[in-house]
Amino acid sequence: MQYYVFKRIIQVIPTIIGVSFLAFSLLYLFPGDPAEFILKSGGIEQPTPEMIENCRIMLGLDKPLPIQYFNWMLKILRGDFGTSWVSGEPVINEILYRFPASAELFLASFSIAVIFSFVLGIIAAIYRDRYVDHACRIWSLLGISIPNFWLGLMFIWLFAVYLHWLPSFGYGTLNHAVLPVLTWAISIMAVKSRFIRASILEELNQAYIITAKAKGLPGRLIIFRHALRNALIPIITFMSLSVHHLIMGAVMIEVVFAWPGVGSFFVESVFIRDFPVVQAFVLLSAVTFALTNLTVDLCYALIDPRIKYERGIKR
Amino acid sequence: MQKEGGTEMMTRRKVAIIAICLVLLSSMMAGCIEQKPQEHASIATQEDQVLTIGYAGDLKLSGDPSKISRSIPKFAVLERLLEYDVEKDEFVPSLAESWDIKDGGKTIVFHLKRGIKFSDGTTMDASAVKFTYDLLHIKNPDLAPESSEIIDDYTIAFHFSEGSILNLARLQDVHGLGVMSPNSVDPPGDINGTLNTLIGTGPFKVVEYKKDQYGVFEPNPYWYERMGLTPKLKKLVVKTIPDEDTRVMALRSGDVDVLIDEYHGGYDYTPRNQLNGLVKDGFKVYTKKLPFTWELILNYRKEPFSDIRLRKAVAYAVNRDEIVNIFGGWVRPADTGIFPPEAPGIKRANIKYEYNPEKARAILRELGKEGMTVDMIVDKSQGDQILVAQLLQQQLKDIGINLNLEVLERGAYREKRNSGDYDMMIYYFGGSERCFYMRIFWRFLPPDKPYKYMKPEVVKAAQGIVKEFDKSKREQKFIELYRAFYDTMGVVPLYHEVVVVAANPKVEGILFEHSEPRFYAVSIK
Repeated sequence: MQYYVFKRIIQVIPTIIGVSFLAFSLLYLFPGDPAEFILKSGGIEQPTPEMIENCRIMLGLDKPLPIQYFNWMLKILRGDFGTSWVSGEPVINEILYRFPASAELFLASFSIAVIFSFVLGIIAAIYRDRYVDHACRIWSLLGISIPNFWLGLMFIWLFAVYLHWLPSFGYGTLNHAVLPVLTWAISIMAVKSRFIRASILEELNQAYIITAKAKGLPGRLIIFRHALRNALIPIITFMSLSVHHLIMGAVMIEVVFAWPGVGSFFVESVFIRDFPVVQAFVLLSAVTFALTNLTVDLCYALIDPRIKYERGIKR
Repeated sequence: MQKEGGTEMMTRRKVAIIAICLVLLSSMMAGCIEQKPQEHASIATQEDQVLTIGYAGDLKLSGDPSKISRSIPKFAVLERLLEYDVEKDEFVPSLAESWDIKDGGKTIVFHLKRGIKFSDGTTMDASAVKFTYDLLHIKNPDLAPESSEIIDDYTIAFHFSEGSILNLARLQDVHGLGVMSPNSVDPPGDINGTLNTLIGTGPFKVVEYKKDQYGVFEPNPYWYERMGLTPKLKKLVVKTIPDEDTRVMALRSGDVDVLIDEYHGGYDYTPRNQLNGLVKDGFKVYTKKLPFTWELILNYRKEPFSDIRLRKAVAYAVNRDEIVNIFGGWVRPADTGIFPPEAPGIKRANIKYEYNPEKARAILRELGKEGMTVDMIVDKSQGDQILVAQLLQQQLKDIGINLNLEVLERGAYREKRNSGDYDMMIYYFGGSERCFYMRIFWRFLPPDKPYKYMKPEVVKAAQGIVKEFDKSKREQKFIELYRAFYDTMGVVPLYHEVVVVAANPKVEGILFEHSEPRFYAVSIK
């Protein structure tokens, strides 16, 4: 197992290098002079040619591209993602400041969504084509179809403006978290519950389940001990696709509810072309994805004892 | 068995029908409920006068001191040496009691008022002024003197490379800084230092700040003593709410007491088309005129609008009353010039931008351009501009021009605008009163940029304005500028903006000075 983990980590390195090159290139892919752009982003409406040249030299933009990339990567490896052109503060500080809020929102929403996805997915699978299954399907369709920013605004209107039960925006207390978590959880569970239902139904049609039923095993045992466990691998893979929100945040939710997370910060940085921030997010997202995939692969071995990661062999 | 199955089906159907009816009924009831302003616990009690303001952006009270937000920090914490009054076209003293213009405007010597204290009790003097402008010179040289020289504790000389009225304008521009204490930064007095706590001489002082969330301010006792006033508010809290609809709902729910606009380029406004609804529901909406006009910019540097006849055709097609209507009457039609009527020289210029679609059609027929297609870039993040662009699309279609709207995200819009890659766009001239002169510099004066309006007649008039220190002569130059714009017709004025403050009716005492709302006299019923 340790060899497998080591091998996977080594395999990730070329991916990260490729992504880093892409992130570095962003500055040069956009039209215009990067140095002039940096000065304008900093609030100088009309930088003079001397200012542009000084900026170019100060930031090392006068050096050949490979040298610039090498210097940039050295800094990244030391944890220095540069300075935000807009705020003037270190990028890593800006991200770390906002990360806890995003993590809270994501973990709460994701946990609730996962629990209810399983509940709804299992119930819909058990009562397939019955009234309950139809109700779950309608619920999922609504959750998928309704844009989460609109849902958020409707919740604000209902619970804050009309009922005065909850605050309309903000961060800091449990009351502030209810509406954004509810909004995001609904949109996550809408998709996940349908997938769980489909995965379980696929297992319920297998021969071993028919055998189990013929043997007289109780329904609960068949579902939870046999069908669900075998369905977990694709379910966990599907669930892992949402983990990138841990880094990227949930932009719409954060903007609508004034939740001070990384998502809205990232999107704002894209809009105003704050490249150091955008580069940092691109890199961190790539690393997060890689680590998530590795973790999911290792989880397979825990769920299914038939899967073993031994040196030279994957069974 | 069938009968039982049939009964069960009937029962389910009845339950479904009842459920649907209940949902419809509750929706109807919700629609009928009036949205009255709430007499809510979030409004301050008599014992605790706390005003909560909803604002779109972060206050930026950390990091680079030159980047602090243009809102409360700049106009409620800091004060400037002077201010600008657009209706009188005069610079008036503020922290300076007077100034001497020397060497054709290249040197300006300021005499500071004595006895003014910063909110931390330290004295506002020439060294604090020098600190502020030396810092600004590094961060944003357009808005600061080339150098400054302390003559004595209350006298400071600023030196500029050229003599110009802009030298006064830049010292109070909204993009610049008011006078701040050297103790505001860490290490104290270091012009390369980072902002610790913003300390100014204005009516409020910073008490607490959380990035992207809120800022808390308290009355500055030294300011109130100087003005002979008594503060009624205990605290002013400014909360960051990025989404415009959430901001309005926060006001309606009572989570905030007041909404203010961001004063720059149309971003982060209170939606104009929701103001009538707020008034109807009992909220107060205050407005103040400002010298800020939205213009339709026709790219005269390339085809098809290199032809002045075509530009005139477009100008005749614009119905400004329809534009005003889409904003519920809250803005003013701009048919007398590129600036509002209160700007210097507008009334005397006696210009009229005529709405005459027949003339527009005649010109297009004569040019053989009926049915032509042109592109307009629109900034997606400015909801108001999308509405105006859609209306213009209709109006131009009426005269035979197909307008293709390219709605772009903010960064892409700016790239196209700055590179001149557009046929038409909506852009603004002027700004808050503070910005008025510097915008002339940034829009009409060299160096030439694709997004600037640099017709020689306009540039000549603009240069005449900024070189002239005599007010009456300057007004004549303004008239020449307005006529140059009218004659070249590369710009079609659309409407004049207003500053909007929406407030709970329990809030009293909101004032406006220099296009900015002031809260120093506010109390809560």
